Amino acid sequence: MMSFIKPEIKIDESFYKVEEIRQLTDETFSLKLPKARFAFKAGQHISLGIKGDYQSREYSIYSGANDENLEVLVKEVENGYFTPKLRKLKAGDLVEVHGPFGKFGIEQKDAETGKFVFIASGTGIAPFRSMVRTYPELDYTLIHGVRYSHEAYDKHEYTNDRYILCTSRDKKGTYNGRLTNYLKGCTFAPKTHFYLCGNSDMIFDALEILKDKGFERDQIHCEVYF
Amino acid sequence: MKYHLITLGCQMNLSDSERVAAVLESMGYERTENEEEANLLGMLACSVRQKPIDKVYNKIAQWNRWKNKRNLITFVSGCILPADKEKFLKSFDLIFQMSELGQLPQMIREYGIVTPAMLKETRPVMPKNEHIAEMWHIKPKYQSTYEAFVPIQNGCDKFCTFCAVPYTRGREVSRPSAEIIDEVRHLVNQGYKSITLLGQNVNSYGLDKNGEEVNFAELLRQIGEFGKTSGEEFWVYFTSPHPQDMSRDVIEVIAQYDCLAKQIHLPMQSGDERVLIKMNRRHSMDKYRRIVADIRELLPTATLFTDIIVGFTSEGETEFQNTVAAMNEFRFNMAYIAMYSPRPGAASYRWENEVLTDDKKDRHHRLSEVLKVYSREYNETLVGKTVRVLVNGTDRKTGFSTGLTEGKINVRLDHFDAALMGQIVDVKITSAADFSLQGSPTQTTSLIPNPSPKEKGVQTVDA
Repeated sequence: MMSFIKPEIKIDESFYKVEEIRQLTDETFSLKLPKARFAFKAGQHISLGIKGDYQSREYSIYSGANDENLEVLVKEVENGYFTPKLRKLKAGDLVEVHGPFGKFGIEQKDAETGKFVFIASGTGIAPFRSMVRTYPELDYTLIHGVRYSHEAYDKHEYTNDRYILCTSRDKKGTYNGRLTNYLKGCTFAPKTHFYLCGNSDMIFDALEILKDKGFERDQIHCEVYF
Repeated sequence: MKYHLITLGCQMNLSDSERVAAVLESMGYERTENEEEANLLGMLACSVRQKPIDKVYNKIAQWNRWKNKRNLITFVSGCILPADKEKFLKSFDLIFQMSELGQLPQMIREYGIVTPAMLKETRPVMPKNEHIAEMWHIKPKYQSTYEAFVPIQNGCDKFCTFCAVPYTRGREVSRPSAEIIDEVRHLVNQGYKSITLLGQNVNSYGLDKNGEEVNFAELLRQIGEFGKTSGEEFWVYFTSPHPQDMSRDVIEVIAQYDCLAKQIHLPMQSGDERVLIKMNRRHSMDKYRRIVADIRELLPTATLFTDIIVGFTSEGETEFQNTVAAMNEFRFNMAYIAMYSPRPGAASYRWENEVLTDDKKDRHHRLSEVLKVYSREYNETLVGKTVRVLVNGTDRKTGFSTGLTEGKINVRLDHFDAALMGQIVDVKITSAADFSLQGSPTQTTSLIPNPSPKEKGVQTVDA
C-alpha cells in the first residue's frame, strides 16, 4: 500500500541563523539576525517563529533599514510560552521570519522636514530606534517610559537633548514619574507628528492627553504591543 | 464513490468548499448530503470561535467510530490553528491547507496510513501563501445558480488581538485582477445575480503587490465598467473591508456604477476607543465616523451593516455604552453581534477573559434591542415603495417565497413562482418587521424580460 508522505520542512529563505544575542538587562535582549535581502521600512514589524515550534509572535524591528543586521528587541515574560524559548536560543540556531508588516512608519518627505515626538513604553522603543537609525537627520524627541533607569535600552545612541527618560520606580530618569504625567506638562509645536508605541493603556492615556492639548487624531500614530 | 463535505464558518470557507467539491467531483466522487453513505468525509473547519472547533472534534470522533464498520477516508482543511492541527493530525486521515488543494487527488490516491512524517510536521501555515494561486485556478462547483462568492484575496496582515486568522490562513495575498474579472464575467454570462467578492480585508486588495496590481477601488471600477456594458442586471458585494484601508475612492466608485451594490458591510467591533486600541484595530472612531459620513453623502440609499464583539477583555459598562452610542449614531441596518470568546492562537487568548458570560449575554441582548429600532425604522420607510428583489428561496409558509433587496434586507414574498427563483424582480413592499419586509411581486413570469441563460441551473422547487 502506498502512503502519502508530506515533504520535509524546506529550509528556505524564511529561515535565518541567529547571529548574536545581545543582553541588555536581566530580562531584555536583542536578537540579531543577518539581514540578507530583507527589505523593510523603519517602524514595520516581523513575525518571528522558532524552528520546530508551531507558534510565532510579532516584533517591531529594532535595527535601521540600512543596518547590516535585522534586530528585534525582546523582553522575557516570566512563565510565558514564547519569550523564554527565544531567550534560550544560541548563535547559529534557526528562526523563521516573515514580513515585513504594518504601516507604522514615516514618509521620506516628512522625515526631511517634519517634527516628531516618539512616545514609547518599555520595549515599545524598538520602532523608534529603527527610525532614528534610518533617518540620521530626523528632528525628533523620544519620550521613553520605563520602571527603572537601566531599562533605557541603548540610551547612548540618542543625544541627551532628544531622549527623555521617565522612570516610575527609581529617581534616575530625566523625569521621575510616569510617562503620561510628564506628557501632561509638555508643550509641542502645532504640526508635530506623534508616534506612540507600547502597551494599550499607555497608548490610550497618551492619546487622551494629546487630544486634550488640541492635537488631531490624524497627527497621532499608534502601534500597540500585546 | 460518494463524498460528504461539512463547511463551518464564514463565506470564505463556503467559497473554498466550492473548489474542494470541484476537485472531488473531477475525481469521480459524487456528492451526498447523507454522511452515512459516503466513502470520503471531509470538513472545512473554522477557528474563529470555540463552538465550530468543538463540532470538528465531535464529528471526527463519530466518523472514526464508523471506521470499525466500513472503509472511510476523512480529511480536514479550512481555518486551522497550529495547536488544533497537531490534534487533527492524529484524528483525520488527511489534512491540507487550501493552497495544497491541487494535491488533494494525489493525497487521496496515495492514502494509506498516517505516516510519522505527517505527525512530526509542526510547521505553521505557510505564511507567505505561495501556492494559493494554484487553488484559485480550480474552477469551483458553485452551490447556487444565481449567487456566487469570488475570492479576491487570502490571508490577513492586520493582527487584531481577538483573531487568529493570520495564523490559520497566512498573510495577505491578492488574486490577480484579471482572474477576478474573468470569473465575474463568466458568472454574469451564466446569469448569476449576486456576486460577493471575498477576502479578510478586501480593501487592502493589491497592496501586497507593491504597485504591480490595481488597488481595490480600481478593481471595483473595472467590474463596474464590465457591468455597464454587459446589459445584465446583477449586484456585486464585497466582504469584509477593514476601516483602516477604507478610502473615499472606493465609495466614489460604488456610487458610479449600478452593478456595485449599495450595501456596505463595515466591521466596527466596538464603539469605544480604548477597546479598539486593545483589539489592535488600528483605526479610531473618528476615522470610522468619516467613512460613514462619506457613505451617507455618496451612497444615500445604501444600507450599512457591521460586526460587533461584546464582552471583549477590558470592556466595562462605560465602554459598552460607547458602543451603544455608536449604534445610535450610525443607525446600522444590521449588526452581527458576537459575544467574545478567546481563541487559542489569538493574542487576547493570553489575557484574562474578565467579562462574565451573563454580562456578555446581557450586553448582546441590549445591543440587539438598539439595532432593532433602527433596522425597523429603515424598513418602514420602504413600505408602499416598489423595490428590486432577488428571489432566492421558498418560505416556510406555503405559497410564499423569500428574497433580498439590493441592500440585503430580507423580503418575504406573498407569492411563489419557481420561474422567479434567481431573478431580480419588482416587489411592492406591503409591511415591515424588525429585520425583514413583506411584499408582492409586481411581475409575473411572463413579464420578465430576457430570461436568464442559465435555465439548466434553476433550482427545482415544488410549486
